[in-house]
Amino acid sequence: MSPQSVLAVSNLTKFYGDFKALDSVSFAVEKGWIYGYLGPNGAGKTTTIRTMLGLLRPDQGEVQIDGVNPAKNPVHALKSVGYAPELPTLQTFFSGEQLMEFIGKMFGLAAQARKARIKQLLDLVGLKEWGDKKIGKYSKGMVQRLSLALALINDPLVLIMDEPTIGMDPEGTAHFRNLFTSLSKEGKTIFISSHLLDEVQRICTHVGMINKGKMVFNGLITQVLETFTKQWVIEAELKTVTKTMITAIKNLDYVEDVKVDENKLRIELKEKKDLRGEISSEIFKRKGVLLSLNLHKITLEDAYLRALKGDQ
Amino acid sequence: MVTYEWRRALAKKKFYVLVILTLVLQIGLFALFSYFFTNPPPGFVGSPLEEMKASMWLVGVLGLQGLFIPLIAIVIAGGSMSEEYERGTADILLSKPITKMEYMTGKFLGGLSLLGFVIVLITILGTTLAYGLFGPQESIQFVPVIYLVLLYSNLLFFSMTFMFSEVFRRTTLSIMAVIGIFVASLFIGGILSMMHLMTQEQLYLEISKWLPNWSVSNLPSFVASELITAPESPFVSVPGGDIQLAAAIIAVYTIASILIAALKLVRSDVTKRTG
Repeated sequence: MSPQSVLAVSNLTKFYGDFKALDSVSFAVEKGWIYGYLGPNGAGKTTTIRTMLGLLRPDQGEVQIDGVNPAKNPVHALKSVGYAPELPTLQTFFSGEQLMEFIGKMFGLAAQARKARIKQLLDLVGLKEWGDKKIGKYSKGMVQRLSLALALINDPLVLIMDEPTIGMDPEGTAHFRNLFTSLSKEGKTIFISSHLLDEVQRICTHVGMINKGKMVFNGLITQVLETFTKQWVIEAELKTVTKTMITAIKNLDYVEDVKVDENKLRIELKEKKDLRGEISSEIFKRKGVLLSLNLHKITLEDAYLRALKGDQ
Repeated sequence: MVTYEWRRALAKKKFYVLVILTLVLQIGLFALFSYFFTNPPPGFVGSPLEEMKASMWLVGVLGLQGLFIPLIAIVIAGGSMSEEYERGTADILLSKPITKMEYMTGKFLGGLSLLGFVIVLITILGTTLAYGLFGPQESIQFVPVIYLVLLYSNLLFFSMTFMFSEVFRRTTLSIMAVIGIFVASLFIGGILSMMHLMTQEQLYLEISKWLPNWSVSNLPSFVASELITAPESPFVSVPGGDIQLAAAIIAVYTIASILIAALKLVRSDVTKRTG
C-alpha cells in the first residue's frame, strides 16, 4: 500500500463453503482515481466490495480504508465511505428525504448540515420534486439516483458503487458519468464495479479485472489497452465483395486475417499501424467500390475478453 | 435505530390487523361481562362473583395475555432482523459507521418499545372500559406494576422470535417456528397437567413450568394475586403461583435468545438479499 492509497486490498481470500470466491486479490486505489472493477458474472466483484465494507469476513487478507480496517473498526473506517449497492432495495416505508435524514443521523451529521445536504443532493441527482414521496412510488432509475444521493450524504472520501448505472436511462447514465468525473476532480476516490465496459472506458482512470476470484489485470486504463492489444482492425464496407478481392487482401504481408459479413470486410492487421491507405489502394486496384473504411484500435471490451482468456 | 424499527413494524398490515383484533376482542370480552352483570342468571345477585365488578380492570388487562399479546410480540419481532436480509437493506444499514451490536440493540429496543406501546393501549382500554361499564375500580394504583410485569413476561416470546429472525434470516420461518413452539408448549403443558392430576406425581408439574407458556401466561396473574387482596377473580387467582420461578424462567429464555442472536450476528457474514 502506497502512502497515497485511500483504499487498499491485500491478499483477500474468501470461501463460500468449499468454493473459493476470492483468491488472494490485491489492489490499491489512490486519491482522486476512478477505478473500474471489471469481471464476468460470478467473478467475485460484489464479494470484493462486500468484504471491503466489512459485510463479509475474509478468510485471509485485509482491507484498509484510509488506513483503517473496516472489519476491526467499522465505525471509524466506514465514516469516510459512501456505498451504493447493485440494484438497491431501499426502505419503502420512508420517503427519500426521511431515509436520507436517517442515514445522515447514522453518520452523525448535525441537524442543520443534514437538512442542507439532503436538499443539495436531491437536487444533484434530479430528485428535488420527489424528496417527500414514499420510496415505494419511485421507479428503478429513481431508486438508483436516491442510492447515489445516500452514498454521498457524508461527503465521503471513497465512493464505492456496484453497477451504479444498471437499469438507468441514457440521460441518467450520462448525468452520472459527468457527476463521477466532477467528484473525482474534487479529490474523491471512486470505485466502480461494472460490466458496462464502454462506460468504464469513458470515465475510469484505472481498472482492475477479476476472473474466477483472481485478479487478471490491475493498472492504468491506457496500460490495459496496450497490454492486451495484439493488432488493429480495419473495417471496410464495399458495394460488392468478390472472392478474388478477399484472397488478394488476405495475401497482403501486413494482413493477419479477413472475415466477411455480406458486403463488409473485417481485416485484422499484423501490426498496430494505420494501413487504411494501403487497403483502399488494394480495393481500388481490384475495381472495388468502397462505401466506408474505418480503423479500429482495441477497445476495452477486446482487452477485457483477452484478459479473461489470459491472452496477452 | 429505535424509531427506524417502529417505522418498519408499523409499515406491516398484519401488525395492524392483530392489534385491532386484540382491541376488538377486549371490547367484546367487556361487552359479554357487561351483559352478564346486567342480566344476571338466577342466584347470581349477591354472589361472590358480583364482587368481581370492582376489579374488572384486571380482566381487561390480563385477559389477553394467554394468546394475543404474545402473538403481537411474535409479529413485531418476526421480521426485525430477517426482513433486512430478505430485502437487502441489511447491506445499506451495516455498511454505515455502526457496530453490529449497536444495530442489534437498536432493533431489539425499537421492537420492544413498540410492544410496550401496544400493551399501554391494551392497559388503558381495559381500565377505561372497566370504569365505564362497571363503575369505580379497586387497586387501580397497581396498573403500572401490572403493565411492567406484562411487558417483562412478553420478553420471552419477543426475544425468542428475534433470535429465530436472526438465526434463520427468514421472516415466515422464524414466526412459524415460534408459533410452533407456542402451540407445542400449550399442548405438552396440558398433557403434563393431566398426567399430574392422574398420578399426583409432582415432577410432571415441575417440568411443565419450564415450558415457555407457563411463565408467560402466569407471571402477571401471580403478581396480581400477590398485590391485590380484593375479591378473587379467575384471572387473578392461580394456584401454585411462584413469582420468582416464573420470572427466572422468562429471564433464562430471554438471555439465552439474545446471546444466540448476538453470536450469530457477530460471527457470520451479512447475507445477500434473499427475498
